[in-house]
Amino acid sequence: MDEPITGLIRRAQGGDVASFSELLDLHYGTIYRIAWKWCGHRTNAEDITQQSCIKLASSLAQYRFQAAFTSWLYQLVISCARDWQRTQKRHQHDSLPEEEPPARGAGRPEDYIYLVQLLDQLDQVGEGMKETALLVHGEGLSHAEAGQILGVSESTISWRIHAIRKHMNKAEALMGGGV
Amino acid sequence: MNAQSFENQLRQATAPTADAAAQLRAKAAALAEFQRLHAAANQPMAPESGLAGLRRLFSNRGSRNLWVGGFATACVVVVAVSTFFLVPPGQRQVLVPPPVTQPATHSQPSAATAEKTEPQQPNVVTPPEFAKTEPAPPAQPVKPRKSKPAAQTQAAPETTPLEPINPPVVDEVVAGEKKYAPAIPSPSPTNIPPPPPAAPSPSQDVEIQEVVTTGTRKQSWLNRMFSRNAPQQSIQPSFKSTAEGRDQFEHFEVNPVKQVSADPVSTFSADVDTASYSFVRRELNQGRLPQVDSVRVEEMINYFDYTWPASQSRDEPFEPTVTVSDSPWGEGKKLIHIGIKGYELPVKQRPDVNLVLLLDVSGSMDEPDKLPLAQKSMALLLETLRPTDTVAIVVYAGAAGEVLPPTAVKDKETILQALNSLRPGGSTAGAQGIKLAYELAERSFRKNGVNRILLATDGDFNVGITNKNELKGYVEREREKGVFLSFLGFGEGNYRDDMGQILAQNGNGVAAYIDTLNEAKKVLVQESTASLFTIAKDVKFQVEFNPATVAEYRLVGYETRALNREDFNNDKVDAGDVGSGHAVTAIYEITPVGSKEKSVDDLRYGEKAKTPQPEGKTNEYGYLRIRYKLPDGLRSRLIEQPIRVDAGVPEGVRDDVQFSTAVAGFGQLLRGGKYTGSLKYEDVIREARGALGEDPFGYRAEFLTLVHKAKEAGGK
Repeated sequence: MDEPITGLIRRAQGGDVASFSELLDLHYGTIYRIAWKWCGHRTNAEDITQQSCIKLASSLAQYRFQAAFTSWLYQLVISCARDWQRTQKRHQHDSLPEEEPPARGAGRPEDYIYLVQLLDQLDQVGEGMKETALLVHGEGLSHAEAGQILGVSESTISWRIHAIRKHMNKAEALMGGGV
Repeated sequence: MNAQSFENQLRQATAPTADAAAQLRAKAAALAEFQRLHAAANQPMAPESGLAGLRRLFSNRGSRNLWVGGFATACVVVVAVSTFFLVPPGQRQVLVPPPVTQPATHSQPSAATAEKTEPQQPNVVTPPEFAKTEPAPPAQPVKPRKSKPAAQTQAAPETTPLEPINPPVVDEVVAGEKKYAPAIPSPSPTNIPPPPPAAPSPSQDVEIQEVVTTGTRKQSWLNRMFSRNAPQQSIQPSFKSTAEGRDQFEHFEVNPVKQVSADPVSTFSADVDTASYSFVRRELNQGRLPQVDSVRVEEMINYFDYTWPASQSRDEPFEPTVTVSDSPWGEGKKLIHIGIKGYELPVKQRPDVNLVLLLDVSGSMDEPDKLPLAQKSMALLLETLRPTDTVAIVVYAGAAGEVLPPTAVKDKETILQALNSLRPGGSTAGAQGIKLAYELAERSFRKNGVNRILLATDGDFNVGITNKNELKGYVEREREKGVFLSFLGFGEGNYRDDMGQILAQNGNGVAAYIDTLNEAKKVLVQESTASLFTIAKDVKFQVEFNPATVAEYRLVGYETRALNREDFNNDKVDAGDVGSGHAVTAIYEITPVGSKEKSVDDLRYGEKAKTPQPEGKTNEYGYLRIRYKLPDGLRSRLIEQPIRVDAGVPEGVRDDVQFSTAVAGFGQLLRGGKYTGSLKYEDVIREARGALGEDPFGYRAEFLTLVHKAKEAGGK
């Protein structure tokens, strides 16, 4: 990890508001990207991102510089996304993504929604499958990096990737043709 | 999608650029939290100032309804002495980041650290004003909700301005029967004054209300507010209280047990709709039990494909299959399955298709699983049509408009382009849209073909013909002219199932609910022949039970399809239609004479001898009659068949009988299980698992996971 970031984090951990603010500016895009890939929905992603930023404020002190900061951040965002999903289930009707304004730029993100449906299906295939697919395919991380973030071994990630591939191909065969 | 393209698409997916205003809000919230924590660390012994409660007031979810409603918002600003700073009031419609501040230095960190300090809403902003400056006691302005543990409790300050207009809803929620329709007066925006801004209550330390209108989405906002608000006010402590949607379903009671001696004849209309199953699936997939009235057992049963032998002739399109088996949930009772499968039209015989797509593009359709999914679904359907078929597109929102005149499918690109150019926005004017769609359908009318309107909407029919009967009459008259209508429901939240049912039932069409692209594929591609090509219309069933062998009977499901006995022979009475290859299954539960498990006791003063004892008919449970008309026929035809006591279950349909029984059991459990005795979800799973059959598309396997989810959600 490069020195400036480390210094920034240390100062923020010490309670320096300006440093924390800078840290947020630096990583908001990353957090939002992960959140969006997780749920495929703009305002929901903003929700998750905001929760993640707040969580970052409260748990930054626990970052021990053992893993790359971004890896640690992935972990945090995924856990926030999971929490968010749980509250969604409970408060579903309180938080429907109503009336989302048309997405700006970036083509048609709604094309991604089918992908999210597939990702969510992976939840039924096994625990951690969705995260694994997101980190390895969506974020282009190595199996080792993904394993570190998800707290499992590299070989578990490889096995999951294989299982996902098998699942997708089987689903494809069942549906008889791609969409 | 295969693994390869799944991975590629995931790899290529790029998130849209983050919204700057959202970033500011998130940053402000995080900074506030950061400062709060560090401030608290310095003064760990400070007394609890109630900040936790105040923060809850700000908490995103509770307020988001309002924000998201896009019409009005009430912003409660709580100020701790000297700490919050002022955002200059003045610019509505402009995004202003929330106060970045060091709130209440005297407070301890609240347990719930992850709460937001500012509701987010891109297009409305309420510049805070201040009335009072002391911190408020936490719970006071908040209507206590007993339904959630504290950390989950959503403060609902926004309920305050709305209470005057929706009290009836609360009772209904508590009563367990959710039907929000009565709470919504006329949906017309002009009829309803905006909620009165609540005056700051003297007992509450701070409360500033501002109503900001954005103007365009009033009615959908109102719809939403009325019913959305209800669960929040609910004091029912169960999971279900928050699980109830604003989706509207027609209420109905479960069919009762009937005595053959008093009421020997049962009559109902065929139903090939499947909307109920998809909706139930959607709810269960989100971890909650569906509204009771959204569960129509017959639609769940008919969602699945059964291998009832199909007729080989177009002239007599059905060949009923009747089986008798033991009831898994009633000791000593029997189940009678009546299955028909419509004649399957060979591709060559398919008539020409004149299709008008009527798409709701109102603001409420602006969700990934609404308009975009509808567009994709229609594109899928296009693939199943022949080059000479025609497609037209009409949209409605604000004003109804013709997007594409009837165009031959060989010009597919033009159609797709028109389809994909649609963008949501504005309010809903369903009725004008329907009229225009019928006009177009008549313009390109195919005399010996299929003339059908496919309506895709989340069900907001707010403007124009809002009266159900008027709409029904209109669709009926058009049906007589030969233009049929099918309904495809999308999205949830304000899904109007009741409206869809009325339109499809009276328009000789099917009502389906599309929640995923897979479902679109099932309905529009795999079953396109069934959805488009009617092979029999006004299909009615009548069963006369034999009092010599049957004491009681109960029809499982079909509550909304019941017909009067005399309607059976009356060709003027409309009934369900069956498409090419459609299967319809009905299940009766009967108590044979002599069984000890009768639900109704014999009358002491009833004369047993009065019951007719048909000579030599003790080998029949009853007599089945089916009436139907050919698609272009005016006179009905009759199919008759006795229900033999020893009918049993033929080997070839054993799985189908067992599986449909499991689905019926599941549907009844979801409706409260009034007649299912000790049947449990586990039993359903066991029955279903043993009868998956070939299941080429995995629908039956999916059913198993749904039962598991219901078990989890219901805690049983």
